[in-house]
Amino acid sequence: MDPNNRVLSRMGARELTEQEVDAVQGAFVRHTLTPCFIDKKQQLLNGDQSIGECG
Amino acid sequence: MKLIVLAPEDDNHTAPIKWALEKAGQKVVCWAGLSWTDEGQSSLLMDGDDTLILGGHSVDPGDVIWIRRPEVPVPNPKVSESDKKFASLEYRCFYHSIAYFFETLPVWCINNYSAARVMIQKAVQIRLARQCGLKTPATLMSNNPAAVRKFFSRDNARTICKGFTPHVWQKEGKMSVAITETFELTSDQLPSDEVLTYAPAIYQERVPKEYDIRMVLMGNHIYSYALKNKKQALDWRQDAGLGHVTAELVPTPPDVEKGVLEFARRSGVCFGSLDFGVDAQGTWWFLEINEEGQFLWIDQFNREARLLEKFCAFVTAPQGSNLPLEARQDLFPSLQEYEELLKNEQVAPIGRPRQEDPFLSMEA
Repeated sequence: MDPNNRVLSRMGARELTEQEVDAVQGAFVRHTLTPCFIDKKQQLLNGDQSIGECG
Repeated sequence: MKLIVLAPEDDNHTAPIKWALEKAGQKVVCWAGLSWTDEGQSSLLMDGDDTLILGGHSVDPGDVIWIRRPEVPVPNPKVSESDKKFASLEYRCFYHSIAYFFETLPVWCINNYSAARVMIQKAVQIRLARQCGLKTPATLMSNNPAAVRKFFSRDNARTICKGFTPHVWQKEGKMSVAITETFELTSDQLPSDEVLTYAPAIYQERVPKEYDIRMVLMGNHIYSYALKNKKQALDWRQDAGLGHVTAELVPTPPDVEKGVLEFARRSGVCFGSLDFGVDAQGTWWFLEINEEGQFLWIDQFNREARLLEKFCAFVTAPQGSNLPLEARQDLFPSLQEYEELLKNEQVAPIGRPRQEDPFLSMEA
């Protein structure tokens, strides 16, 4: 990754471990997801922050 | 009275709460939001005896409206390409009319849409929290390189950086994933001025926290949970997601409680999830509030929390009731019971795939 052409938040983003990647699969497409963290159970943890005009 | 939830029925908080309320004999209906489909259509008639219909449901005096997570308005996909932009704006404007109109009706909104729209702004939150007597870290929101560098030149100060919104980057064709996270940054690590203009960011004094607090506000009721993890990570969420965090009910210091209730009064928010960091001196630092933040996960980490039951008691409380929510929480079944049913496929699954995720980007 070239640090000169990416946003600062991408540079500070955390690369997930294999275990975490495994846990997050399928979570991206969930409606209320805020994928700032991973929840192996029901995604009850995910989605603290909503975005857009409605939430 | 009925509860009208603005969210899809399979939303991960809506589904168990609807189930629990119905088990207790309460009426609950869901409206996923404005769309062209039969169930998404709405009518607002103002002829002296105003009526508002959401899908097949009328909004009646005394109803409770929980603006949980409505979907973005969906115009009819068959609309002419030439009219798509107009139709989309019309749908959006009509949705706003509905959401703000609730506030003129004799109903109770959780939360009022106008309050929610203002309080989603982190800058407003921090300023209001400070005005209400809560301790807040020094914060800079900026895309101006000179201002950023000046903020980092403060004496003996550690600084963290975070985004306004979360995001995920996934490498194309690979499983590799990176997630935005609050991270510490020094002046030496700052990138070029140009990079600092690529996206605004939040730069904040690092709170020397010993542990985190997740607080749930329900009207005048406040429940605070200490979140502790062995790694003392800057951001507890990743560890929580992997089950490495404990959530212990702790008393809220009187001055913090007073500040939070004043914050709620001034902002107009009656429900929300607040984050605090607690330092070695026991000082609680306000970090943020998510007015429709997630809270049922605390029941999974601490079965005695019973926030599902408390929330059910909150939304069904008689008007003007000053009773503690605990006095009525036994009327409702627990999340654990719901989870058993879910495991045995005796209730519908939650969270089916939907629209494109606005938080996900692919990268090379």
